[in-house]
Amino acid sequence: MTANAEAPGTEPKISARNVQVYYGDTHAIKDVSVDIEDKTVTAFIGPSGCGKSTFLRCINRMNDTIDVARVEGDIRIDGEDIYDRRVDPVQLRAKVGMVFQKPNPFPKSIYDNVAYGPRIHGLARNKAELDDIVERALRRGAIWDEVKDRLSAPGTGLSGGQQQRLCIARAVATEPEVLLMDEPCSALDPIATAQVEELIDELRQNYSVVIVTHSMQQAARVSQKTAFFHLGHLVEYGETDRIFTAPEDPRTESYITGRIG
Amino acid sequence: MTDVPNPAAPIADPRGASSLLTQDARTTRRNRAEGRFRLYGILAIGVGLLMLLVLLVTIISRGTGAFQQTYLTLPVELLEAKLDKKGNRDIEDIKKVSTFGYSPLMNAALEAKVAQAGIETELEPKAMAALLSKDAAATLRDFVLENPELIGTTVEFEFLVNSRVDGYLKGRVTRESIANDKSINAAQLDLVDALVAEGSLAKRFNPEFITGSDASDQRPEAAGMGVAMIGSLFMMLVVLALALPIGVAASIYLEEFAPKNLFTDIIEVNISNLAAVPSIVFGILGLAVFINYMHLPSSAPLVGGLVLTLMTLPTIIISTRASLKSVPPSIRDAALGVGASKMQSVFHHVLPLAAPGILTGTIIGLAQALGETAPLLLIGMVGFIASNPPDGIASGLMDPNSAMPAQIYEWAKRADPAFYERAWGGIIILLVFLVTMNAIAVLLRRRFERRW
Repeated sequence: MTANAEAPGTEPKISARNVQVYYGDTHAIKDVSVDIEDKTVTAFIGPSGCGKSTFLRCINRMNDTIDVARVEGDIRIDGEDIYDRRVDPVQLRAKVGMVFQKPNPFPKSIYDNVAYGPRIHGLARNKAELDDIVERALRRGAIWDEVKDRLSAPGTGLSGGQQQRLCIARAVATEPEVLLMDEPCSALDPIATAQVEELIDELRQNYSVVIVTHSMQQAARVSQKTAFFHLGHLVEYGETDRIFTAPEDPRTESYITGRIG
Repeated sequence: MTDVPNPAAPIADPRGASSLLTQDARTTRRNRAEGRFRLYGILAIGVGLLMLLVLLVTIISRGTGAFQQTYLTLPVELLEAKLDKKGNRDIEDIKKVSTFGYSPLMNAALEAKVAQAGIETELEPKAMAALLSKDAAATLRDFVLENPELIGTTVEFEFLVNSRVDGYLKGRVTRESIANDKSINAAQLDLVDALVAEGSLAKRFNPEFITGSDASDQRPEAAGMGVAMIGSLFMMLVVLALALPIGVAASIYLEEFAPKNLFTDIIEVNISNLAAVPSIVFGILGLAVFINYMHLPSSAPLVGGLVLTLMTLPTIIISTRASLKSVPPSIRDAALGVGASKMQSVFHHVLPLAAPGILTGTIIGLAQALGETAPLLLIGMVGFIASNPPDGIASGLMDPNSAMPAQIYEWAKRADPAFYERAWGGIIILLVFLVTMNAIAVLLRRRFERRW
């Protein structure tokens, strides 16, 4: 018996302590502390404007690109403070991949979309290796069979659901350890949503997935852990089953029963 | 207590009960207003098109004449005794014979022609020779210097004729209009008519107008646009080489990297203001900085190019920033999300998408610079260059030169109506230049866009 990462009681993958985010004068995230486990899907739910996306964007420092945003507190991935002065956000983002709300493939070929990350990070030594990485990523994105015959076709020519899976493939191509998904299905139809949800479940084998969603059904379907955000506070965090069946906080209960939000 | 209106009760419709099949007064009024607005639009476009038509018709009807010139074909005997006294064909010796040595040959040829054709005229030989252009002897001399082996033979040569004669053939000069003209008289026109009938005096296409150099006040028939075109071309090269990289780099920095603060706000406002600064201000700036302070040669395309660069930069920066702004932020997010650095996201993704817009802005800026005259007047880019184009780009950039719009302005200023015709012709060349540039821009744009 070797102690592996899945053993209970090990370090969380991501651990946030007393995180505050300000947009100018607006206090968007108020004192959020949360531990996110490896090889788990964690869902962030909550009404619009509650700060769940903002918090998600703290985890790969995408908030750095917004001039007025200011992050305080402590976020650690594998025990390393990602807001440490020595951390280069570019390196961090290779480790923490992100999928956005609207599918945003580059206006390049399908192949180049996936190959871009590995190329800039120097993950492949030659064309054959790169081909390999692209194929593996597209397979993991559950889109390989649909696009294998037209890898040089523009990524923007795919349907919405295919585009989103392409974006997921692009995100996993750089071999991240954490995958952040900001409402990945909000622009998709139910069939494409089902495909992406299935994919998220598979991705759990290899990654720690954090997903922001407006749909409580989706959170219930895909996640093991759920965090409920309200007005910048993390109200409740726990096993998904428990949150949806026996919420402790009255605000959580109101939200999941549809009374607020 | 019961004065609260029942929210479920329908509000009385002021339009009254009406059928959908009849228009009520309000709808009729609205429809009429829309109809009027459309009419204004059509009128505005109609007026614009009419003006364009008038402009094009005027330019073409007045300018095309400049592309044609009247030539007199004469067999000239290139007497060895006059042109190469030593008879050894040494080019240095032949060069010693000035145009005054050639005039008698020409005049003799004309006299012989008149006699041979049996044309009766009471004109003195000198008056006959006055029909030829003052430039004719120089053209003949250049020809002989290039072909010294032809000395001693008789060659058929086409001589430019005087601008009055040319004007007579083009209908600009009439027998009535020369009443007070000392340069030409009725007897000379009789001779012209006879020569035309005989077939040796005729109009033909004049490539020299496109490729040649300017000529002095007395010989409008010899003036051409070529040197000014080269001056404009050199200036455009300087503008392109400087304004495009500086402008694009500045826009990328301001748009993508610079922090948004008071300082960058001030820069932004100033760039917008600079785009509206009259071009003559840039001219006086160029005069003060480049010529008086840096002691660059005046009249040089390099200085002209520098001044026009300053003038073009705001245009390029504004259009580049606009096209960078129009690239959706999701593309930047996508690039940053896979771990691209800011610069990688800009150069790999944003810039290619903005390229068509940048290109269009640059061409618009260049076209503006190409047609600019005022700043060139201040830095002396109205040089009178009566020689052929300079040899290379390097020397050409520092050599005195003119530019197309400045040349047109120069011609329009001169007294002889023949120059007026050349000014219109020059405008045709300038417009062809501009249309070509725009066509290139459209083609490049298409090409870039296809590569999304």
